[in-house]
Formats: sequence, structure tokens, C-alpha cells
Amino acid sequence: MTQKQPPTPEELILAMLREVLARQAEQMGLRPKAEPPPAPAPPPPPTPPPPPVTTPVAKTEPSIAASPAEFEEAAEPLSAAELQELAEFNELADQPILPSNLPRTLRLLVIGLVALLILINIPVFNVALARALPDRQALIIRDGLLLKGSGPEVYVLESNHKRWISSIDAFEHYGYRWDEVHVVDDSSLREYPDGRPLHVLLKCNASPHIYRLENDKKRWIKDIPTFEAEGHLWEDVRFVTCERLREIPDGLPIPPDAGPPPQP
Amino acid sequence: MTTQPPTAPRRGGLLSEIEALLRNRYRYFAEIRDGVEVSRKIRAMLMWSAIFLALFGAVIGSEYSVRQALASGVKLPLLFLITLLVCLPTLYFFNTIFESSLSLSQNFALLLSAITMTAIILLAFAPVVLFFLITTSQYQFYKLLNVAIFAIAGWIGVRQLSQGMRMLTANDRRGAKMRGRILSLWILLYAFVGSQLAWTLRPFFGAPGLPFELFRGLGGNFYTNIFASLGELLGFFTVR
Repeated sequence: MTQKQPPTPEELILAMLREVLARQAEQMGLRPKAEPPPAPAPPPPPTPPPPPVTTPVAKTEPSIAASPAEFEEAAEPLSAAELQELAEFNELADQPILPSNLPRTLRLLVIGLVALLILINIPVFNVALARALPDRQALIIRDGLLLKGSGPEVYVLESNHKRWISSIDAFEHYGYRWDEVHVVDDSSLREYPDGRPLHVLLKCNASPHIYRLENDKKRWIKDIPTFEAEGHLWEDVRFVTCERLREIPDGLPIPPDAGPPPQP
Repeated sequence: MTTQPPTAPRRGGLLSEIEALLRNRYRYFAEIRDGVEVSRKIRAMLMWSAIFLALFGAVIGSEYSVRQALASGVKLPLLFLITLLVCLPTLYFFNTIFESSLSLSQNFALLLSAITMTAIILLAFAPVVLFFLITTSQYQFYKLLNVAIFAIAGWIGVRQLSQGMRMLTANDRRGAKMRGRILSLWILLYAFVGSQLAWTLRPFFGAPGLPFELFRGLGGNFYTNIFASLGELLGFFTVR
């Protein structure tokens, strides 16, 4: 039999609290009425002998009062397989760690890797070994990729179509950067059918007219139905000064038979 | 009924703690359980796992540029450590509720041992990755190769965690079954948090054709990206 220690004040308070909670639960009909509890907290039931495990026994508080069984999961004894696993763990844990070269090997591996990393990243003939293979520069074809052939036109890929960016203003308006433009063969460009060109629309505050910038010329858009029919969006209208607009030479109006373009 | 006496403090530098973890993890767990130099172990694992992960990050980032190598070298240790810090309270409090006697520092040390093991496996794979970095040029293959390496290393780390947790809490029989279930769910949570954070911190590789960026805008998720890469590698479609 195990020797019982007298309960500490904290344990007694806990036991009383449990008792009060259990009574409260009874009154609220949450659990059937139990036998009247003994006046002092009952002594803990004799604990079964601990399983024959070779692990250190963790400190456990002796139970003071029986807790309501439905609120707690019963402690399960170790199964045979678990016992065996634990015994193996402990047997292995008891084996001492003999000195070895492992720390030195780890250090060497770290130093070697750092040296290799530096070596493959040093550019020789303008290219580092890490990025020396020609295909390393291969493009991932994706929406938003900027492409340029032998001509001056720059295109952006969208839904497997190439969309011509009609002016530098449009290029800047859409937030593209020149270092993002990839020069490719014309034959590669021809693989993609043309999509709707990407324009920028210009307007000044003092004038009601909207112009489309195309090949560095401004093309007057006749009216709102035409504007919408061309697929333009109001968000794409850029406000500039009227002087700047007047400086841009006129191109064909949209539609071409719209008559002479008005000046802003 | 126990067991070995508390182990004497280990001599040597912090790397000797890593050696102990590698050569006899059972003894290492027993030491964590018995509270032998837990803070020294934590320091050693934090320092060395950060170094190993930084090195591996630099290796994978070298495929793109020096700046990417440096960025990945910083981001990879951050990825693992932030994931650990995000998930640690969940594991600790659930374990405590289900009557585990492990302290927060013991839980932390155990999780760090899993991360350190993952970092060591990654370091061991670093020469292989370097080899493929120099000899192959297909970006999608390179990316998937590294994802596979991360998966292997992560699996070994998680296995170590589960083994360690069983050993450390073997004597807390009450709630053991529930804690086992919680650990399985926690591992899932850890994987989800880790993969989402990896997506947030990307790029780690740097896609050819895109300019260098420290962080890329969010969009899509980790799983659809891997699926798309697999599709392109197998020739089903092109990633756009």
C-alpha cells in the first residue's frame, strides 16, 4: 500500500470547490442525484500499482476528492505495445553519446557550402556559374509578360494574345517598367494572335473632349457611344494640361469619318 | 522505477547539443523531460537551425540572383521560426488542458528539436540542390525538386516531434488519448500555417522573367501553384 500524505490547504479548497460544483450540477438537473457525500473528503481510492515501465515517474498530485466522472477522461493503463515502445525508448536513452567527429563534419559542411555559394555566385565573363546555363534565362509565359520583337512595338501578353501598348504614356500609365521588357524573336511574337491594343486616353480640365494617344498622335473620340464601343474605361482617362494636349499632333478621329477634330 | 539519473551537463560548444540530438535523440528527449539544460538546448537549436536554414535558403535563391539568395537566406529561417511561434501556444495550452505536465519551455524545446532535425536534413540535401542548380535549367523541375526535399525534411521533423511527445508525456496517462489526437490535428495546423506563411513570404526561388522582389503580391495559393507546376512539368499545360 502506498503511504498517503495529509492533504494540503490548496487541495482541501479544491476538493470543496468540486463538491460545491457537483451539488450545483445536481440542483440544475445536469447529473442524477448522487449518494450523500461523506462529510470529509473521501480518501483517494488505492491506486493500482504503476505499470512496470522504466521511465521516471512524473510527479502527480494525489487526488483528494473524486471528481465527477463525466467531466474527466479516465487514465488508461499503458498497452503492451506502448510499454514495449517505452522500454525501447528508455533503453536507447540510457546509451551514452560517445565523442565523435560529427560537430567537425557539420562545421566543415557549413563552411564548404558557404564557399561554394560564393564561388557559384561570382560572375565570370559577366555570368555566374549558378545562372550560366542558357535556358536559365527562359521566360515563364504568363499574363502580364512584356515582349518586344525587332521593331519598336512593345506588347503585353494577356489570355494568350499579345496586346500592343500604343504609346509611352500608355506604357507608363499601366505601371510597366522598361527593365521588365523581354526582347524575343519575331517568330516567337508571331505565335500569339493580336489582342485589343492597350491605349491611354487623354483629357484636359478645360475641354470636354477625350483623345486617344496612338503612335504619338492624339485621336479625337467623337462621342460617348463611340468611346464605349471601343471598349474604353473611364479609369483609363488621364488628365493632362490643355497646352500639352494641343502640342500633340492630330491623328485620324475615331471613327475616321467623324469630321475635323476639335482642339482642346 | 525509473530510469537514468539526470544527465550531467554537456561539455563543448553549442554544436555538441546538435550532435546529441542527431546521435541519440531518445537521450535528448529524456534530458528535455528531466529539465536538463533546456535553455542551453533551446539556444543551440535556435542558433544552428537558423544557420542551416539560412544556408539552404541561400542555395535555393542562388538559382535566380545574389539578391534573391540573400533574401531567401533570411526568409527561410523566419518562415520556420514564425510558424513555430504562431503554433506553439495552441499545442501548449491544449496539452495543458488535457493534463500534460510539460512546461512551455519543454514544449518549445521539443518543437525546436523537430525544426532542427528538418534544418539538418535540408542542409544534407544542399549539395544535391547545388548540383541540380548548376546542371539543370528547368525552373519548374527545380522548384518541385525543392518542394519534395522540403516535404521529406518536414516529414522527418514531424515524425521526430511525435516520437518525442510520446516519450515526454508517457507518464501523463490521463488525457493521453486526447493529446495524441490533438497532436495529429496540430501537425495539420502547423502544415497549413507553414504553407500559408511560405506563400506570403515568397518568392524563395525567383521566377525567371520576373524582376527581383522581396515579397510578391498575394494571389492564388501554395497548393494551386504546385499543381500548376506539376502540370507544366508533365506537359499538360503552361503556367501563366
